[in-house]
Amino acid sequence: MHLNTTSSHLGDEPFTLGDSATAIVPLATAAGLGLLALTAVLGWLEHDSFRHFFFSYLVVFCFFLSISLGALFFVAVQHLSRAGWSVTVRRLAEILAGALPAMTVLFLPIIVPMLLGSSSLYAWVSPAPHDELLRHKLPYLNLPFFGVRAVAYFAVWGLFGRYFLLRSVEQDRSGDPQLTLKMERASAVALILFAFTLTFAAFDWLMSLEPRWFSTIFGVYFFAGTVVAGLSAIILMAALLQASGRLRWAITTEHYHDLGKLLLSFVIFWGYIAFSQYMLIWYANLPEEVVWYRARNAGPWGITSLLLLFVNLLIPFLGLMSREVKRRKYLLAFWAVWLLAGHWLDMYWLVMPTYHPACPPLGLLDLGCLLGLSCLYLAAVLRVAVGRPLVPLKDPRLGESLAFENL
Amino acid sequence: MGDPEKQPGDAEASSALAGVLAEFASAEALVEAAAAVRAAGYRRWDCHSPFPVHGIDRAMGIRFTPLPWLVFAAGLTGAIVALLLQWWTNGVDYPLLISGKPLFGLPANIAVAFELIILFAGITAFVGCLALNQLPRFAHPLLRSERFRRATTDAMFISIEAADPQFDAAATPQWLQSLGATAVELCYEPVAGRAIPRPLLMAVVVLASLAVLPPLLIARARLVKSTEPRIHIITDMAFQPKYKMQAESPLFADGRAMRPPVPGAIADGQLQDDDHRYRGKLPDGRFATTFPMPLTEALMRRGQERFNIYCAVCHGLAGMGDGIIPQRTTARGKPWLPVSLHELSVRSQPVGQLFNTITNGIRTMPAYASQIPVEDRWAIILYVRALQRSRAATLDDVPAELRDKIR
Repeated sequence: MHLNTTSSHLGDEPFTLGDSATAIVPLATAAGLGLLALTAVLGWLEHDSFRHFFFSYLVVFCFFLSISLGALFFVAVQHLSRAGWSVTVRRLAEILAGALPAMTVLFLPIIVPMLLGSSSLYAWVSPAPHDELLRHKLPYLNLPFFGVRAVAYFAVWGLFGRYFLLRSVEQDRSGDPQLTLKMERASAVALILFAFTLTFAAFDWLMSLEPRWFSTIFGVYFFAGTVVAGLSAIILMAALLQASGRLRWAITTEHYHDLGKLLLSFVIFWGYIAFSQYMLIWYANLPEEVVWYRARNAGPWGITSLLLLFVNLLIPFLGLMSREVKRRKYLLAFWAVWLLAGHWLDMYWLVMPTYHPACPPLGLLDLGCLLGLSCLYLAAVLRVAVGRPLVPLKDPRLGESLAFENL
Repeated sequence: MGDPEKQPGDAEASSALAGVLAEFASAEALVEAAAAVRAAGYRRWDCHSPFPVHGIDRAMGIRFTPLPWLVFAAGLTGAIVALLLQWWTNGVDYPLLISGKPLFGLPANIAVAFELIILFAGITAFVGCLALNQLPRFAHPLLRSERFRRATTDAMFISIEAADPQFDAAATPQWLQSLGATAVELCYEPVAGRAIPRPLLMAVVVLASLAVLPPLLIARARLVKSTEPRIHIITDMAFQPKYKMQAESPLFADGRAMRPPVPGAIADGQLQDDDHRYRGKLPDGRFATTFPMPLTEALMRRGQERFNIYCAVCHGLAGMGDGIIPQRTTARGKPWLPVSLHELSVRSQPVGQLFNTITNGIRTMPAYASQIPVEDRWAIILYVRALQRSRAATLDDVPAELRDKIR
């Protein structure tokens, strides 16, 4: 019955990307590389050993990385919970997570200069001899171990990102329900490893920008933003694909409604975690902990912090609350764009005060990195998507997903 | 609820008609019939099925529940109540300063606000759900129908109440039959009165009487005087395993619970091992002729400020010995004059001796060690030196660019 439903709905609607997508890949790659090269030249002109450029790059890198990681989390959770409703949108998340190996390449501009001895980004790379605290942290914060950990993170993410994509595409051809069981089993392992790698990656790449500061909840904070970004990207992708005449038979109001519910709950979760981190540090008022918030509490950064509270929690909380909003895909897509912008602001707020404590140093470098990496990320995602069906055509739960109703 | 053994109809002749019950063969038939009943203009009717039937709410024309708005309003109320409660109790009624935090600081109060939002919203959702469904309800005429028992296992029903303005005891059942009902039967109000069962009533009375007891006991305890010691409910708080000040302890040989400090221990900041700075003396015992700190503009201004506070009342703002106190004693006929700081006997003293005088006092001048910190004493001496020099200044002391002005 399921397969019949599928084929009768398939009709003449395309369920893969068109030829134009294939053509965009090399164009976007070239444009992205060009823009990044141009931005790097601008960064060189600042004569600060590329410090500003590296910080700007890290912001945007973490932004796109978290989209893919959020998508990987989404895929793994759907398998773990044996979800039926989400089958028609799961492939979109699989494609985003399938771009994780490409993120490894985009990490090279961060780690290669470090291996060549640059401490522009992370001050702990070459600690001063009298700096007792950093010397004490040396067993963890040292270059070789940092590199090994980065390899481990990307290995886990790349492995599972490709695994879920390739098994699912294999099922499109064979229709073998055993593959679903395999993915369900793998998802449990994937989520455990995901939790560890994401937490420590957040420690390594974002928290160690301020090597004297620490917050044990920091990984969860990054995770919360990651899932919001991933869900927003899935919603946006679905809306764009439907606007281009694809997947209209597959993704219904009901799917948007459920994605919207998840999005709202993770917006709240982000606020919950962000506040948990803030309140404990505010209340304990310990010098070694408050330094991080002191830098973000006064002046222009203080305004940025307030902006973050409103943009990422209070406004979308009210905006996404209504059932009607979640059931209108373009309204929901608006909030997805809003929250992606908010997540970029979040990354900026995490990284930039270390580079420029006085005020947000918004400038051409940020724009250049954002545009350049956007092109490269688009190319990476399209490269994964091209030639593959945008829906798991023979998933055993496809029929359930197509017939899904919220009420 | 009726007696399960009793067949419906036993008492029908003597009881009022409650409504009509029609059974349908399938969910699809139920949805079709529901649409027809709605179209016919009935108001007081309902559908019953053992599982949720998709589309039944649309067919019945059920309006969306107002419950979310109630829950939202209750959540807002919870937030406002929590904030006002904390503001009143901790900020106004009984201000209690906790580790230097503001009496009403938002971060500390968010947690309670969050809990009250959940509490109010949760209770409203539960009670509102019951109230909107007109529950709790002890009995319903439909429950007396033997056939209706299958509504929770394998049968679909439509019931129309006799109270509906469109209801006709003869025509409505026939019309339902024509809609495709497999069986139609009439339901009657229970013959027995709707009085609350006696045992239940008794139980309520007993429980209510018992509930009065605790408040009565509390009221008695508050009003009646007693020679008995008070009851300690939380004993480990009233009797803590600790020693109080000056208490005895068998643990130490001298029997004292408070331990004297280790011989030679010096309290934080009380070391004062620098004779020059703290006593104004050189290692050989003579008074120092130099200041123990760099002389700055800030130190001079501090000295002027402190001098005008502590010294000028006797010595006068210019150090002439004409402060407001000698002026007053003179006016009252008991002249008393402090020494002028410009006398040679004072001008010739080394700064260390002046420091000693301020610290320990001399003749009628009291010691100022307890009022003026060490740094400030040196600052005052610096200012006194400036005053002394100003009284014996020559043109050479005036900066070249200002000389024209004083001519």
